[in-house]
Amino acid sequence: MNCKNNSLVKGSGWIKEGSCGCPGKNKEWQYTDVRSLCAHLLADSVLAYPIDNFGRFNRESRLVVLSAALALYDAGIVYARDRKQDIGIVGTSADGSLSSNLDYFRDYASCGRTLGRGNFFIYTLASSPLAETSIHFGLQGPLVFLRHAEDPEEKMLAQAEFMIQNRDARVLLAVVFDPQKAACYYLSGDKT
Amino acid sequence: MREETAVITNVDIWTAYGRGIECCWEGLLRGKTAIQPCTRFDTGHFPSRMAAVVEGIGYGGKSSLVMQMLVPLLESNKSLLPSDAVPVLASTTGEIDLLEKNVFEGTGGAVESGLGVLLEKLKAVTGIKGGGFVVSSACASSSAALGFAAGLIQNGKHDCVLVAAVDAVTEFVFSGFSSLMALDPEPAKPFDRKRAGLSLGDGAGFILLMSCARAQREGRVVIGEIAGWAMTNDANHMTGPSRDGSGLKCAIQKALERADVSAGDVGAISSHGTGTVYNDSMEMKAYAGVFGNPMPLYSIKGAVGHTMGAAGLIETAIALRVLRERVIPATIGLRDADPEAQNWVSLEKRKLEKNVVLLNNSGFGGVNAALILKG
Repeated sequence: MNCKNNSLVKGSGWIKEGSCGCPGKNKEWQYTDVRSLCAHLLADSVLAYPIDNFGRFNRESRLVVLSAALALYDAGIVYARDRKQDIGIVGTSADGSLSSNLDYFRDYASCGRTLGRGNFFIYTLASSPLAETSIHFGLQGPLVFLRHAEDPEEKMLAQAEFMIQNRDARVLLAVVFDPQKAACYYLSGDKT
Repeated sequence: MREETAVITNVDIWTAYGRGIECCWEGLLRGKTAIQPCTRFDTGHFPSRMAAVVEGIGYGGKSSLVMQMLVPLLESNKSLLPSDAVPVLASTTGEIDLLEKNVFEGTGGAVESGLGVLLEKLKAVTGIKGGGFVVSSACASSSAALGFAAGLIQNGKHDCVLVAAVDAVTEFVFSGFSSLMALDPEPAKPFDRKRAGLSLGDGAGFILLMSCARAQREGRVVIGEIAGWAMTNDANHMTGPSRDGSGLKCAIQKALERADVSAGDVGAISSHGTGTVYNDSMEMKAYAGVFGNPMPLYSIKGAVGHTMGAAGLIETAIALRVLRERVIPATIGLRDADPEAQNWVSLEKRKLEKNVVLLNNSGFGGVNAALILKG
């Protein structure tokens, strides 16, 4: 995604299979599994505190919350467990919650169509990874999954910028994700 | 009214009461719920069998459940929908029955159940060209979409936006809500002392928004105005709202501020009112925090069920009727008001005294959306 012309982007983070990084701080981490990566990011103060229920998260939620941690770190934003902030989150993804929908319904069908698993069902919304991220970081601004028909990534970033200019949010995280990777941008209308 | 004011010029809905606003409005005033035992699929092993399903819509049709509702609604209104409108689709699970079919029968592609595919179908049915957006924020999807659309118009970015919202009662969502023990074994009883969960409902609808200037230029009848909107998040829990209602309170205050109206200007609250213990209690704390003293409040979810991503749009359609008729419907399903809701909700219809309605929706992940509607 081209964010060079977006003056509101103050930080970013990315994660993919085996590596992640913060371009602004020129830092990268290599990893073999995401749980060990969490420990590294905690030790390096990218994560301020452990992520509750991380083992329960679906794939997209794990990637989105970690990319958000990297973007906040890149932008120099301090957060704490007991202090919620007026930051919103918008996100886009080509397939929404398709993989989690399949996980939930295949499990339900294989168990005889009598009862589904709540822990699978809660990830069957396209907005679920954004919700897990807002819960971890205490983000109290708008939360919306937004997908443009033709140019999802660029339009999502443009819409995030518009939401700040339109006073829908003061600060936003904008994240593009799929089950293999995520990129998150920290946008702020503040001068500093 | 300013030129960029986002006005509503056309609206239509389909609920379990039938097709159109008129039959839904009449159903609400009659006081008889459309929720009944669901026979669309086998519900015998679930704690509840109740849902508000649209008659004649079912599995095995030529198209998905949501398209069975959307296509007739949009085709019959096609001549009123400008081809340059920006299409915005609001839904939670869209054509999820296509994924069900893929899992059960191995036919079709699960990827066809995606919301992006449904947006393309919406464009094909309406003949609208150009991009368009999917907006999905759990059960606040369509109120979020209406705020999103109003923002595009008020800021001068576009002058015409079509918001379509739809969700259906499927085995997928019914089993999921059952797994969370969120369904009332009886029809939902919003704000009742003995409320025990929600009832799901089929729902579809569309709202055409225009700038005031374009509506005047085209000689459109203005039905109402989206004067304010806001979204917040509780950042608290995936399925439970914040217990103190602070997130919703903040959304309401921001929406009032954007609309430049005070709490005292509001004549009624179209609440989310699902009938779950925690949601309704959270809402009452938020309303008490904003308004202080009781004021008229209603929920339609004991009548048409919780239509998920379509709820906000259907409730907006009804709120516009409330503004036009100056009548606030009773809360169907209510028998004995919870102490927190006493003197707010009513078993009887009431008179609307002011020209502003506050509409709220909340959803999984702690999302809250508030709209300020003017007649």
